[in-house]
Amino acid sequence: MIRVTVNGVTSEHEVEARLLLADFLRHSLGLTGTHVGCEQGVCGACTVLLNGDSVRACLCFAVQADGGEIETVESLGTVDDLHPLQKAFQEHHALQCGFCTPGMLMTGIDLLRKYPLATDAEIREGLSGNLCRCTGYEHLVQAIRSAVEARNES
Amino acid sequence: MKPPAFEYLAATSLEQAVAALADDEAKVLAGGQSLVPMLNFRLLAPSILVDITRIPGLDFVEGDGDGGLRIGALTRHYTLETSALVQTDFPVLSAAMNHVAHLAIRNRGTIGGSLCHGDPAAELPGLALLLNAQLKTTQRTIAATDFFASALSTILAEDEILTEITLPALPPRTGWGFEEFARRSGDFALAAVGATVSLSGEEVSEARIVVIGAHDTPLRLSAAEALLTSRSGIAAAAKAAQDQVSPSDDLHGSADYRRHLVGVLTRRALTAAWQRAEGSAP
Amino acid sequence: MKAEARPKIIGARVQRVEDPRLLAGRGAFIDDLNLPGTLHVAFCRSDHAHARIVDIESAEASRMPGVAAVITAVDIADKMQPIRATSRMADYYATELPVLARDKVRYVGEAVVAVVASSRYLAEDAVEQIAITYEPLGDAIDPVAAAKPGSPLLHEEAGSNVIVTRTFARGDVDAVMASAAVRVGDTFRMHRKTPTAMENRGYLAEYDQGRRALTLHSTTQVPGIVRDALVEMLDLPGNRLRVVAPDVGGGFGGKAALYPEEILVCIIARQLGRPVKWLSDRLEDLMSTNQAFDEIVEAELACDDEGRILGLRAEVIGDVGAYSVYPWTAAIEPVQVVSFLPGPYRVPSYRGRVRAIVTSKTPTGAYRGVGRPISTFVMERLIDMAAARLSLDPLQMRRRNMVRSEEFPYKSASGIVWDRAGFMECLDGVATAADYQSLRQQQAQARAAGRWVGIGLASYAELTGLGSRIAVAPGMPVNTGTESASLRIDSTGAVTASFGIASHGQGLETTLAQVIAEELGVRVEDVEVIHGDSAAVAHGTGTFASRSTVLAGGAAIMSARAVREKVLEAASHLLEVDVGDMDAADGRIFVKGTDRALTFRELARAVYSEMGRLPREVREGIELEATRMYDPYFGTSTPASHLAMVEIDPETYRVTVTRYVVAEDCGRVINPLIADGQVQGGVAQGIGAALMEEVVHDDGGQILTASLMDYVVPTAAEIPAMEIIHMETELPDNIGGFRGMGEGGTIGAPAAVANAIADALAPLGIMINELPATPERLFRLIEAMNTEQPE
Repeated sequence: MIRVTVNGVTSEHEVEARLLLADFLRHSLGLTGTHVGCEQGVCGACTVLLNGDSVRACLCFAVQADGGEIETVESLGTVDDLHPLQKAFQEHHALQCGFCTPGMLMTGIDLLRKYPLATDAEIREGLSGNLCRCTGYEHLVQAIRSAVEARNES
Repeated sequence: MKPPAFEYLAATSLEQAVAALADDEAKVLAGGQSLVPMLNFRLLAPSILVDITRIPGLDFVEGDGDGGLRIGALTRHYTLETSALVQTDFPVLSAAMNHVAHLAIRNRGTIGGSLCHGDPAAELPGLALLLNAQLKTTQRTIAATDFFASALSTILAEDEILTEITLPALPPRTGWGFEEFARRSGDFALAAVGATVSLSGEEVSEARIVVIGAHDTPLRLSAAEALLTSRSGIAAAAKAAQDQVSPSDDLHGSADYRRHLVGVLTRRALTAAWQRAEGSAP
Repeated sequence: MKAEARPKIIGARVQRVEDPRLLAGRGAFIDDLNLPGTLHVAFCRSDHAHARIVDIESAEASRMPGVAAVITAVDIADKMQPIRATSRMADYYATELPVLARDKVRYVGEAVVAVVASSRYLAEDAVEQIAITYEPLGDAIDPVAAAKPGSPLLHEEAGSNVIVTRTFARGDVDAVMASAAVRVGDTFRMHRKTPTAMENRGYLAEYDQGRRALTLHSTTQVPGIVRDALVEMLDLPGNRLRVVAPDVGGGFGGKAALYPEEILVCIIARQLGRPVKWLSDRLEDLMSTNQAFDEIVEAELACDDEGRILGLRAEVIGDVGAYSVYPWTAAIEPVQVVSFLPGPYRVPSYRGRVRAIVTSKTPTGAYRGVGRPISTFVMERLIDMAAARLSLDPLQMRRRNMVRSEEFPYKSASGIVWDRAGFMECLDGVATAADYQSLRQQQAQARAAGRWVGIGLASYAELTGLGSRIAVAPGMPVNTGTESASLRIDSTGAVTASFGIASHGQGLETTLAQVIAEELGVRVEDVEVIHGDSAAVAHGTGTFASRSTVLAGGAAIMSARAVREKVLEAASHLLEVDVGDMDAADGRIFVKGTDRALTFRELARAVYSEMGRLPREVREGIELEATRMYDPYFGTSTPASHLAMVEIDPETYRVTVTRYVVAEDCGRVINPLIADGQVQGGVAQGIGAALMEEVVHDDGGQILTASLMDYVVPTAAEIPAMEIIHMETELPDNIGGFRGMGEGGTIGAPAAVANAIADALAPLGIMINELPATPERLFRLIEAMNTEQPE
């Protein structure tokens, strides 16, 4: 039995030890915003926040999250009321197919909390753990840069 | 790519964990950033995973009061990367942490996990060697030079757990360099070189060179170190480093290319280290 | 509102309507669909490249927990009609496309046994218990060796591993070559790529036993093609077989073919009466999704002493993998290499011969650019080589040979007809935007300082938005030359537009809504675009080959105009004014110059619900809907020129792209944000192709690049910022004036980067004829040079 707080809601679940956190979120809790792209720890699509830090949900078992707090893309904004980072993504056309997007957003949240991101090179380095095959990254960099500016002003 | 079934124990003490490891097929689970991909590929089929991350008292970075550091085995890479103590006393370690994968991996991966996984292309095992680390386990204390047996293998017993890493203080006027070449940002190194140069007056009191990714373990290049008696010895040391390593071919680079890289990276790392030792570079 | 003040919606930087759901994690991708009672499939795949299946031992697997069925080729043989990608092309052998391997396997990763279980975890547990005995049949890995008589045959009944032979010729190129002032040539190699969409392929089939109807949810780019094929294979009528593409996480061509796994889930769902899902994992994706770009091109270019091209000849070997994919055939890529090789240039004499060789590797199919990344790489290298021989600037060499605006329509050496497009405008545009002359000065200074800096140009033209006159793949029996739009204003006044295309990142929900909004006079957010559903229109194929904006956009305009006529006619009765005095915009129909107006909702209510407001003879025939089919006939020509600047570390040989500029002509831009994004994404894949991406097999046909650690696609850190200019040349014969543009970035970038690297290394006398130009390859080239010329 594990007890987790996901997007502010605490619940208890009987899970098999080998159940990946990504599968737990998607299939046990129905939070399908977290995507699975490789299960090899490379693509970053499954990135969520565990106790405030970005982690790969494909490289973590649900049992390891016992007692923890998890935030997924669903915790950010809603379709009608997007989070400022989500808005920045839309304004800069930083997504095309949208599959890598939840992982990019959750990585972006953690990067914005932890790093100055003073240059585009630093933003690119920070995003380099999340693969996107559609955008060529340029608009993603622009979206993050605008979020950095908003952060630095506030 | 779903992992095979296994039992799971969230150990709350080292004693409990060690007892559980008596099972031949048991595996220690720390951050899991190397272990879980192998499980997802079904390259391993452990009977039980012994999660040691809930054992208290193993996540710390502390000065030893003498310019050295004690680091708990469950310290995350990100903690090490951003620790003010590490930045001050072992900036080479901070610099190397920047090359470790990506933030989400560094948030989760532990120092002890990386050392015990013993990937010859990973940064931490090489840094442990470079910084003369002592690795304290549930059974003994092992010098980093003795710790790594071969690729993905250490001398740890099946039921032995790494608990702490101590780094002795570097001599005064020690400069450092860390140079890595990877295909992409965050990828494993095709080759990386860490170096320190300690000066005493105009003399080199000590030089250390460690190469990563060019051998089945991280490798201290003593022959090259011996050639570094003056700044003009850098080229000869780099050449010696290149000659001393015998990397293997793989998908991303041939042995010849890796050897070439070791020469280039050694020269660059030593040059940077020298400049820092002299105080001519930050 | 006055007519003059109508908002221009086409051309505006409209934010995408698909974004909020995707950003909020509320998209519906294939694995987000959960039907109660779903069974999950895992495959036991071949670990042999070419072997006879001697025995399959699966009894143990059948007894594993949660296992509902273990299925081999024998079990499904009587439940489907086999399928082959046929073609009217001469000298082509259509291989079978097995759903599960029967008798023998032909590549590592080919599905042999399917396990159906209550979860993917349990299905994989059972797969581990399956033992297959193989008898190796000899390797056919290297295409050159496999083409030779006596090598092991993958398809014995074909009699050869060479399954396509084709030649394009104009003039007596051999005579021209023999007497030309300048000849340059080399053997060029592009190594195999895999599309690597971030979402793996996945299929979910549900069979309604009551209606005897099958619905396949598929990560497909081509729901119409899949539906039509499955109707034949499964013997169900089209009205009881529906193929739906939900939100799809990128395709790039890799999801544009019919796949064995999607056939299989349909068969199992029908047989077991339960929903059946297969979701590829990344390991399977890298082994089983159609691959591409695997050609060897021996090519030679002849010029006069002023750099005018006289002739071009090429021998192309395409390594097409084990099977001919449906519907495109194994010919799609290698034949495009020779048909597009002359590029946007005047080439008076030409011979391009291609042979497609089956090898025991993953089948190849469509991947962004299809053939043209290779043809452009080769031709653009040859142009630069000739320029260097003549001491001409590469820009000058291109200007001298590019088809000029007064020459359109221009029939190329291979028979392609280039319609009026901004060929030269793009070349001049990129040179101006990049300030080419000053870049050359920067390069000279960098060189003087010992730095390795190079500049590369690449120009190309592609055929996009193909109409019925030209097949996407040679001789293919599937018509992809038309596309329909079905536009409807319902009784609430809401606008729904249904299409046969299948957007999977291109933003077509937004761009098609923009087109309809402007033509019909509503707001973008008022238009609901339905796509990716075979039931949406009578005939549709999907989204591939840079076609959707041209074809669906054209059909959207036609249907919107037809509906608008009905709207205005109904409104003229309601407002009692002439049609000519009215206009529609922003969701209102109004009398010009007055404030008399109706909303679309009021109009729809009057037409459908409020009896008596329209006379009977008007009411009949004024249903507010129309379906129109658009056929651009020849299609559109899309040219572009790319400029890349690189710096190479003279010691580690890492290549860094420091500047990237594209000038392209996609005709009228509907949405600049989206158009830029398409180019940027394409260029990033092209840079990946140029510098890092390579599917590697060992000598035994084992795939060594089976993870994203080893199949190296670029991250944000390896891709530069890009500058993009759209030339927007007019296109009078095309209803919307749109040219296709989804693939172009990937076509130009490998050549531009290759030329830039070659330029950087020119002082060393090193040629670039092989991509990706990895640091390892550059190291070997430089070492070889150092060995040849000791200091």
